[in-house]
Order: sequence, then C-alpha cells, then structure tokens
Amino acid sequence: MRRLLLLVSKDLKRKLRAPVGLAVLLAFPIVFAGMLALVFGSSGDSTPKVRLVVENRDTGFAASALSSAFTSKQMAEHFDVRTVGKGEGAALIEAGEASALLVIPEHLTQDVLDGKPVTLEMVRNPAEGILPEVAEQLARVLTEVLDGGARVLRQPLSDLRPYLGEGSPAPTDSNVIEISLAVKRTIEGAEGLVFPPAITLKGAFEEKKPEKSDENTGSLIFLAVLPGVAVYALFLVADNGMRDVLAEGTLGTMRRQLAGPIGPGTLLLGKGLYAGALALIALAVFSAVAAVFLPRVPSIPGYLLLSLALILAVVGCSALIYGLAGTERKGATFASAIYLVMGFLGGSFVDVTNLPKGMQAIAHWTPFYWATSGYRTLLEKGGGLADVLPAIAVLTVLGATLLLAGSVFLKKGVARGGAA
Amino acid sequence: MFQVQHLTKRYGDLRAVDGISFEVRRGELYGLLGPNGAGKTTTMSMLSGLLSPDEGRILFDGVDLAAKPLEVKARLGVVPQEPALYATLSARENLRFWGGLYGLAGSALDKAVDRVLEETGLAVRAKEPVKNFSGGMKRRLNLGIGLVHRPQAVLMDEPTVGIDVQARLNILQVVRDVAAAGTTVLYTTHYLEEVETLCDRIAIMDHGKILAEGTLDELKRQVGGKDLLTVTGTFDAETARKAGAIDGAQVLTAENGRLLLSVEGGRGAVEALTAILAGKLPAEGITIQPPSLSALFLNLTGRELRD
Repeated sequence: MRRLLLLVSKDLKRKLRAPVGLAVLLAFPIVFAGMLALVFGSSGDSTPKVRLVVENRDTGFAASALSSAFTSKQMAEHFDVRTVGKGEGAALIEAGEASALLVIPEHLTQDVLDGKPVTLEMVRNPAEGILPEVAEQLARVLTEVLDGGARVLRQPLSDLRPYLGEGSPAPTDSNVIEISLAVKRTIEGAEGLVFPPAITLKGAFEEKKPEKSDENTGSLIFLAVLPGVAVYALFLVADNGMRDVLAEGTLGTMRRQLAGPIGPGTLLLGKGLYAGALALIALAVFSAVAAVFLPRVPSIPGYLLLSLALILAVVGCSALIYGLAGTERKGATFASAIYLVMGFLGGSFVDVTNLPKGMQAIAHWTPFYWATSGYRTLLEKGGGLADVLPAIAVLTVLGATLLLAGSVFLKKGVARGGAA
Repeated sequence: MFQVQHLTKRYGDLRAVDGISFEVRRGELYGLLGPNGAGKTTTMSMLSGLLSPDEGRILFDGVDLAAKPLEVKARLGVVPQEPALYATLSARENLRFWGGLYGLAGSALDKAVDRVLEETGLAVRAKEPVKNFSGGMKRRLNLGIGLVHRPQAVLMDEPTVGIDVQARLNILQVVRDVAAAGTTVLYTTHYLEEVETLCDRIAIMDHGKILAEGTLDELKRQVGGKDLLTVTGTFDAETARKAGAIDGAQVLTAENGRLLLSVEGGRGAVEALTAILAGKLPAEGITIQPPSLSALFLNLTGRELRD
C-alpha cells in the first residue's frame, strides 16, 4: 500500500511540475460551455435599445401619428425615442448619442391630405451596426402603413380638409356624421382586400414573452453543454495518466522500477490509481464550476456514484487502448480517434436525439452516452439516484471489463518494456 | 555473492548469451569487459531479474533469483546504462522516490538521501529539477539512485558511457568508494583502462561467451608474457607463413593490410620480420605492445576492443 501511494504521489508531483497539458484539458470544457452560453444565452434584458431621435417639423395629425407610433408601449421596449426641435437631431447623431435620426418634414399632414408624394428622411449613425438598420426598417414599415391609409381614406380625408386649417369653421354634427360614415364605408369596402392582413407584424411585438424564471438562460445553456464536454475531457485526462505507463517505458524508469522490489501488477495498479486520481481532480474542478450555476443541489449519492463509475470507465477504456496499442504514440493516435467518435456518438457535442436512428442505437454502446445522459438527468432534470442507476450499472460493468482486459495486455507490454 | 551457472539467452537464432558461468565474491569489484554486442547488457538484464534466461540459473547469496525475484531484487542496486530519472523532479525528490521504493522511510530515508547527495557531489544542486543538469550530473545521480538503499550488491552497466573525462573520473571514484565500503560491484564496460584500474577480477566477454576470467595479473599471464607485434602493409600468404615461422611467434590475424603477431622478445622479432620482408616495410608500420589486456583481447578474439 505504501509503495502504491509512493507511485501515485510521484506521478502526481510530476504532473504538477508540468501542468500545462492537464490545465488545457481542464479548461477546455469550461471555456467551450462558457462560450456557447455567452453566444446563445444572452437574455432580452441585455439587448440594447435603439436610440431614435425624431425631429418632427410638422404639427399635423399625420406627423403626430407617425411619431407616436415609436413611443407606444410595445415600441418602448425596443426604442428609446427622443423628440427634438429642428436642427438638433444631426448634432445628437454627430455626438454618437443616437442610433438614428428620423426627420418628419414640414407640411407632412397637408401633403398627405393633398395626395402629394412625401419623403421621410432617415439618418443612420455610421458608428453603430444593427440598431440604425432596425430603426430604418421599422420606419419603412410605418411609412407603408401611413401611405396605404392615406390612399384608402383619400376621399373622407379630403372632406375633412376644410375643417383642419387655422381659423377654419367647426364642422357641424351632420358634417361629422357624413365624414364618419364615409370612413366606415371606405374601410368596409376595403375590408376584403386588407383584412385579414396578408402580412402582419403582430407576432414580432405582441408575442407573449416567456415568463421570467430565476434561471438565467446562459446558465442553463452552460449546464446543458458542460456535462457532455466534461465527460469527453475526462476521458482525455485519464488517457493522459494511463499513457504514462508507456512513457515511462521510453524514459527507462519503468525498467528501473521493475529491477526493484516491485512487480508489474503493482506498477500497473499504481498507474491506474494515478489516472483515476487525475480524473477525480478533473471531476472536482468541473463540479465546482458547475455548482456556481446550478439552480438546485443535485442528488449527492447519485452524483458521487455516477462519478465513481465514470472514473472506472475512463481508466478502463484508456487501459485497454494502451494495452492494445503497445506504444505510446500509437496509443495516443488511437485514443484521440476513438474518443472523438465515441464523444460525438455519445452526446458530448450534440444531443443524441439529433442523431440519425442508426447512430442513436450505437450511442448506447459508448460510455460517453451513459455518463452524459446520467449527468444531464441529475443536473438538468433534477433526477435522483434511482434515475441514474442504469447509467451507474452500465459504466461500472463496462469500466471493470475494460480495465480487466486492458490490464492483461498492459501487463504483457510492461513485461516487454522491462525486458527491452 | 553471485553464482551464475550456464546462463543462456537466445533471440531467434542468435545466442546473445551463450552458456556463461562465473562467480562474483562478496565485496568484490568484478568487471565484465567486452565490445558492444558482446552480451554484457543482456547478462546484466538477467542478473537484475528483468529478463528470464532460457537456460541456466542465477543464485544471489544462495537464493535462486527465478524463485524469489522480489527478495533478491530488494537487496540489489541497479545502475542502467542510460540515466533513468524523472526530469521534472529534483535530485532529492528522485532519490527519495527510489529510496522509498526500496523500503526506506522517515529519517532513514532522509539520511540516505543526504549521504548519496554528498557522495555524488550533488548536494548543492539537490533542489534543482534534473532537467537542468548536465550529462555528467545526470550520470552521477543515476549512479546515486542505485546506491541510495545501501544494496548488498550493485549492478553497473557501462555507467561512464558518453561523458567527459572529469565526470568519468568522478564516477569512477564513487565506484571505488562503494567497493571500499564492502559493497559487491558487478561492473560492465568496454573501456580497458576502467577494468584495469578498478576491478579485482575481470571476465572478458565476446559473442555471448566468457573468453577469459581472472585478476589483471592472471589475465596478463595468459598472454604468456608475449609482446604483441602489429605490422601494417600489403602481405601475401607466403609472407604471413614466414612470419609465423619466426621463433616464438604466433600469427593472430593477417588480413585487411594488417599482420598481428604474438611474439617473445618483440625487438628480436622485428629484426627477423624485417629480414623476411626484405626491407620493404617503413619503420612506422611496426608497433610493439607489451603484455596487456588489450593484447590479451586481441590474442583471444583477433580484433581490437574499440568504443
């Protein structure tokens, strides 16, 4: 036992003195999951608003309608609208305090009533990317609406015109009724053409927002991605440890150990424990990072047993690969290819349900699948020990079998290395 | 201490070690001398339990190595030909690990490590990672590791190969000190001067066989006090035959423009040879070597022992 501890502590010390490889393997899943969370996990709250300056030079109802469209309750979630006087908008754009400037020209209302062509001016802030584009597109839509309304209601609006100017007589009750009826008839006449609308914007702004929960989207994505890539990284970490059996053969230190009072079995057991210890360290790091984002504490017995079974599986897997490969270089090449394929099939990078049926069936034969699905059951779905017992059982049996087979081949390799 | 009986190791058709037998006495510094490929390292691998012999057996202090390998190995120290060290660990950490592997612990381990660091002259660099060491320092540490647990016998396989003169002298001094302290040392080398200056007894090995064994004086006597005469030039078979007919001379080889003779009274033989060659040979084409291990090796194998 003392010799085993000595072997393991020596190897851990060596790894500590050259930690870059291990550090990269530990950082990889965290950085990978973190990046995905950052890219796909931004919440609506953090989306910047379009800062729109409206320079309204017209006092008529059409200009007011257009301007107020941007300040409606729905638009207020996306637009920060500031109405300014003539000539002030350009200065704000220049100072970088606005995404876009909408200039509503003088006589807009009058021109609409007269049926004359009207041009709205939109000035974009060149320093900003997407936000001015959003403002311009929205203004374009509103203009289309206004234009369509003006065309459809041309006659009733024309009837209204004598009463809109300064000093104009107030309309009589019969005038109001006539114009109202004209508007009603015009809309009813156009109903077949415009209702139901062929194109609607309703969904874009009226869609019911998902209820806010305590769980940040980014955290959820991080926790969804981390188990898969962490399992993949864990296999690479154990591979790093088990590879040392053959590396020591090259160094000559294995031969020297075998010339001492230590058998090949003890030497191998020491390497297996070392690989397991590295995997344990990696799991502890991944678990600590995951704990920061976990919305709830997972089942501790389930988590511990699943982790132990996984460690057995990763050590067994790498033992068999290096036992069969015979040389360090061959083993490393085989391991990279095997882990990549198994990781892909087993759900380390994409959800297994997204794979074709045939591949899904193969996935069940990989330890990656059982480990990844086990952790997802515990962390995402809040499952307990009973839910992950099948995964624990499969990983344990698989790990023990692989370790046994790998030890037989490795022992032969160690004996050969000692004799070389 | 070691009794090696009819030891044989085959690799296919090649008999790397061919039925050798020898005995190393307790406290003795025993040298195994031979060129590269003679079978020295294979013999050492079998003695250290890394390789199983095809035939024969090895007894260490009466214990059969094949029957109780771990028991025997615990009492042996091994110094491999190439330094087998952990480069990222310090000299002290290396020594502590290997000492611990042989069962040392606590203050006994501390003392043993300090002792070896002093003996190998590495105490001042003890905390440095081995990767920063020079080749000579690595060789000294390699030697020290084999000694840290105070073994009853040490197997040293060409521990001075590929290092500078100063480092070599340091290592040879450590080997002398170890032997002087009563440890049995089995030392292989292909450097004649090392076995001549170090070893109590020497075995000359070539092609897997031991050709001669004994103390330096005993081996020199095997040459029969004869000088070794080397003549370079072009010879025909008749010349070689006539040279062999010189009184007290024996032709060892006559090939590749070289005539090798074992002769009594080198100077007289040179005169006789010059007469045979009818003055055709320049004087610098003749060398005379007094009786030596080199001469013996040539005598035994017909070729020189080279690096």
